[in-house]
Order: sequence, then C-alpha cells, then structure tokens
Amino acid sequence: MPTTPLSVRYEDDLRLFASVWRRIGIVLLAVGVVAFPFVVDGRWVMTANFALVAVVGAVGLMILTGFTGQISLGHAAFLAIGAYTAAVTGDTFGLPFWLSIPLGGALAALVGLAVGPFALRLRGLYLAIVTLGLVFIVNHLLRAFPEVTGGLSGIRVPMLWWFDGPRVGDATWELGPLTLASREQLYFLFVLITVGVVLFATNLRRSRTGRAMNAVRDRDVAAAVMGVNVARTKLEAFGISSFIAGMAGAMFGYVQTFITIDPPFNLIMSIEYIAMIVLGGVGTVVGAVLGGLAFVAIGPIAEHLLGGLPLLSELSSSQQQRLMFAVIVGAFLLLEPLGLYGVWIRIKIYFMAWPFRY
Amino acid sequence: MDTTARSGDDQGRAPLVTFEDVTLSFEGLVAIDDVSFEVYPGQLFAIIGPNGAGKTSTFNCISGVYHPSAGRITFEGRDLLGLPPHAITELGIARTFQNVELFPMLTTLDNLLVGRHVHYRSNWLRDGIWLGRARREEVAHRGRVEEIIDFLDLESFRDKPASFLPYGVQKRIELGRALVMDPKLLLLDEPAAGMNLEETEDVARYILDVKEELGITQILVEHDMGVVMDLADEVAVLDFGRKIAQGRPAEVQSHPEVIRAYLGASTDVGGDGGAAAGGDAARTGEAAIGDTTDRVTDGGAS
Ligand SMILES: Nc1ncnc2c1ncn2[C@@H]1O[C@H](COP(=O)(O)OP(=O)(O)O)[C@@H](O)[C@H]1O
Ligand SMILES: [Mg+2]
Repeated sequence: MPTTPLSVRYEDDLRLFASVWRRIGIVLLAVGVVAFPFVVDGRWVMTANFALVAVVGAVGLMILTGFTGQISLGHAAFLAIGAYTAAVTGDTFGLPFWLSIPLGGALAALVGLAVGPFALRLRGLYLAIVTLGLVFIVNHLLRAFPEVTGGLSGIRVPMLWWFDGPRVGDATWELGPLTLASREQLYFLFVLITVGVVLFATNLRRSRTGRAMNAVRDRDVAAAVMGVNVARTKLEAFGISSFIAGMAGAMFGYVQTFITIDPPFNLIMSIEYIAMIVLGGVGTVVGAVLGGLAFVAIGPIAEHLLGGLPLLSELSSSQQQRLMFAVIVGAFLLLEPLGLYGVWIRIKIYFMAWPFRY
Repeated sequence: MDTTARSGDDQGRAPLVTFEDVTLSFEGLVAIDDVSFEVYPGQLFAIIGPNGAGKTSTFNCISGVYHPSAGRITFEGRDLLGLPPHAITELGIARTFQNVELFPMLTTLDNLLVGRHVHYRSNWLRDGIWLGRARREEVAHRGRVEEIIDFLDLESFRDKPASFLPYGVQKRIELGRALVMDPKLLLLDEPAAGMNLEETEDVARYILDVKEELGITQILVEHDMGVVMDLADEVAVLDFGRKIAQGRPAEVQSHPEVIRAYLGASTDVGGDGGAAAGGDAARTGEAAIGDTTDRVTDGGAS
C-alpha cells in the first residue's frame, strides 16, 4: 500500500477540501453565494449583509470563547470600537474603507490586549463580569467626547473607495445584464472579508495555535506542562478575537450608514453573539458561520410566523426576533448541545449509513 | 547522602537532575521534607512510597506546578525553580499524570500534536495564513506523531476524541503525548495504575522500550512493586514526605524502614505526631490519590 512517501499522505490529510464531495460542495456554495444577490429581492441582500457582519463577529467570539474557553460579555465593546473607528476616520478624515476596517480591528485588538491580562487571573463568570465592564467603559468614553463621536446624536459612517473619494455605491455598476447598486457592492466586499476571516479561523483551528487554545480551554495546567505558554495563548486569543470583532463593527457601521452608541452596542449585543456561537455549536468555525446566519435569518422568519398570533404581533419586530431566538437557543441547549453543527453531523452520519438506520 | 547505593557506572558522570534539600508544605502539612536525590543520564529512577508520601508532589515541583519553600532543583545544571511550567518543558522535560489529564475534546492525534508544541517555530499569524512554513511544519511534526502512534499501537484511536476512549488507552495516549516531545527526561506518574495484569505488562514493555530504544532518562512513580523491581536501576523510597531509603531495587526491598512503611505500621512511628497525622489523612485509600491530581488542576488555575 504505501508506495507514496508518507509526507504526501499527511499533506493530503491536511487539505481542507480533501474529498470530491467537499470540492463539489464548495463549488456549489460559491456559485450560490455569487448568484444570490441577483436572484433574490433587494431586501434580502440587505439581510445578507447583516448576516455577514454577524458571521464575522461570531467567528471572532468563537476564537476567544469557543476555541480558548474564555467567556466574554465584552464583544459589543469591540464592535463599538470598530464601528466608531470607521465612522470617525471616514467622516472626519476621509479614509477609505480598506484602511478604516483594519484600523478598527487594530484599535479593538489593542483594547482586547489590555483586557487580556485580567483573563490570566480570572475565569468563568468573573471574567464575564469584567469584560461586561468594558462595554460600559467604552460606551461612557464614546459619550464623553461628543465632538469626536457625535455623542448621543450619533454619527455617519461613510464608506469611501479612496481618500476623500467616491463612496461605495455612489456609482451603480453595470455588468452586462447585471446591476450592482450600493448594497450589492457591499455584499461582495463583505463576502470577501468573510471568506478571509473564516479561512483564517479554520487555519488557526487546525494548527499549533488553535490546538494550544483548545488545550488551554480543556485543561490549562496540563497545557502548561505540555509546553503551552498559557498566558500568551490567552492574550493571542483576546487579540485576534477583538481584531475580528473590530472589523465586524466597522462592517456593521457601513451597513447601517449611521450609528448611535446604545443601542446597539450594549449587553444585549454581547449576549446575542454568545447565543450565536452556542446555537451554531461551540468550538467549530462552521458553528460560528451557521449561528451568525441563523441569527439574522430568524428575524424575517419570526416576523412572518409571530405576526399572525394575537399577543405576539404587538411586539416590535426586534422583540419578536429576540423572543424567537431565545426560544430556539434554549431548545438547542436542551436538545442538541452541539448546536447546528451537531445537527449537521447527524445528517451526515445518517446519509453515510444510508439506507441503514443506525 | 547514600552515594554508596548509587549504581557504579554512574560514578563520575554529571547528573541530569538534582533534587537538593527540597521542602514543600501546604498550610502546615509538609508534603516533601528535605528530600535530595540525583538522577543520571540514561537511568530509570523509581520513586516509591505509600499514598500521600509526596511522590506526585515531587513531580509537580520538577515541572513547576508546585513551588518548594526551600531547596534547589536543577536540570542539566540549570536551576529550575522560578521557571514557569512551559519553560521547564521547553528544556526537555515531559511527564504524564497520575490521573489522566488528556484534552478531552481533542482527538488522539490532536492530543499528540499538542505534545509537539515546543518544537514548532510558527506563530499565530503564520498559522492563520497557513502558507508555506506553517503547512510544511505541520506535515513534518505529523510525521513524528505518526511514528509514536505506531510505536504505541494507537492507530485505531487516531481520530477519536480522547474522552470517548477506554481508560487504559487514555493512559497510553498520555505516554505518547509525552514521548512525541522527544524529551531528555520523562516523568511517569503511576503509568500502570488501575490496569489489569496484561495491560501492566504492556506498560512495562513500553517503559523498557523507551529506555532501551529511545535512551530517554526516566523517573518512574509506581505502586506496582513488581514493575518497579523489574525495571528500575535505582529506587528512592518516600514516606510522609521524607526519603527513608535509596539504592538498587534488591537493596531497598530488604531495608527495614521500607518494610515498616509498606506494612503500614504507622502507629509505632513515635515522635513525629504532626506529620504522621497529616499523612494518615492522606493515606485513607485510593480516593485520596485521585483528589490530589484534581487539586493540581484547581491549584494551578487560581
Ligand atoms: N495541592 C495540594 N494542596 C494541599 N495538599 C496537597 C496538595 N497536593 C498534595 N498535597 C498533600 O501532600 C501530600 C503528598 O501528596 P502526593 O504528592 O500527591 O502523594 P503521593 O503522590 O505520594 O501519593 C499528601 O498529604 C497530599 O494530601
Ligand atoms: Mg501520587
């Protein structure tokens, strides 16, 4: 059997899209993603843009909480930092988005690294409480400098192609029969960012850094004795996670075009992100993607389903969305702790065993 | 100390590990009481003693999990005290735990790859981008891990999460996780605990292979006297945190203090009431052993 050298075999083993089915799957997915904005109603493209923001944000939290086991209620603070960086650099300084987004990530990462040392001493709920404090501090600071941040009246988030240049969506692109207006342009930019972030997290997960994070999550003393620098690993998790959250914040600002401090950047947002990764399945990148998509998709579905019911139709649409989401996450915690990822695995096993029931 | 009892062929060689007058106490309980010993390159050095004697604590001092209040521990002449656990591991010291401490959610393969951690040169950025170096390194280390999987017959468990595997297999994976480090020193804490006769024989064979094929210096803590007497070059006996004897297995076996400690004649050990009372509490059966490792996890975390 082993006519090929061993290294070739491991190389194959490490390939992301090893099987033919996976490759077919990824091609179909790519076609679907590209075709999506041209086959659905424009409203759904907008929803998709929010979903991509949620996916990026959820992947960020997954690295910290899912990979490394550090529970954080501070995620909204990092998104706020990213969003306000995009707003201020765009509105005041006329920076293009491809600078503002990484800048937002970098600022959020700096704050994340500053909070990180608390994680070296605190764990579980104590860490959650300290990170929650971060949300209040950041919100307070944003309110304290209204000349810069617009304070309570909010601020515009212009998305520029170039320094002081035209904005994304100023010109509508015609590609043969296809028209790309503002939201379609945003969609394709966001797809690129999301693919990059998802690949980065997937690579982390299957390499030394990701394994070290998992080791710290599962047993930190054993991890240290295996040579893992626990403090450094936690700091890396905080840094990477908050960088990605900052990027998600900037993206969020661009979809909104105008933002205020609270709402949306409050405890509820932090909890929603935790719910997304729980719903998707803690510990996996796929889980973060599914959780983020499901969270946003639930909004319109909830409106549709609950709108017809007597009492529940009185609720605002965001309340309906939250209620539905809470019920679903609760149900998952009880019935399928591995989340949507667990459901996916079951479906896969079912079809692999087909036609036999196991 | 009892240099007379040391194996003759070690004379004149520099020790790999020295433990000098080490004392460790927990709120009044003296877990290690002024213990000294030296381990020489290539040696299989055993530490035996009743439950609560301080064997696991000795390992925890070497790996930097516990911090002795007095004494010195050196490895290749370098002082270990004050170094964090990961830095000690980087020097080439690997260990297993009395109670299995695998990463339960990770597969056998991933558990072993964590054992290669100190040999990687990549960093988080390279890992995330996964081009060139990170991927080549992964392939290279994977190769070493597969060799150990082969050596320990772990093929059929490669892709299963550790927590789903039988206890005996988990112990073997732990040995593998320590071996893939290619350490200079291997600390084994009761590798045969809880195993049946056949499994114990397997473990003994692996330990011997590690010594003879891989040439790794080992310190072995083991309850099974048969294993110790068959394998060890040198044995130190601890009781209530103190070293009561050291020498070749046969010499130690007939030592009167050792016989007394092993017959559990704790009532007639007059004069040291305090320590004896503390030790007795820890001797109340197997449960105490398990508790100790749990405390290791909690203690280091706070
Ligand atoms: N973290 C700890 N906190 C308090 N006491 C401890 C701790 N670790 C070990 N001990 C005590 O130190 C003594 C030696 O324990 P240990 O080294 O685990 O013994 P052995 O491995 O020889 O059975 C016991 O009395 C034990 O209860
Ligand atoms: Mg012990």
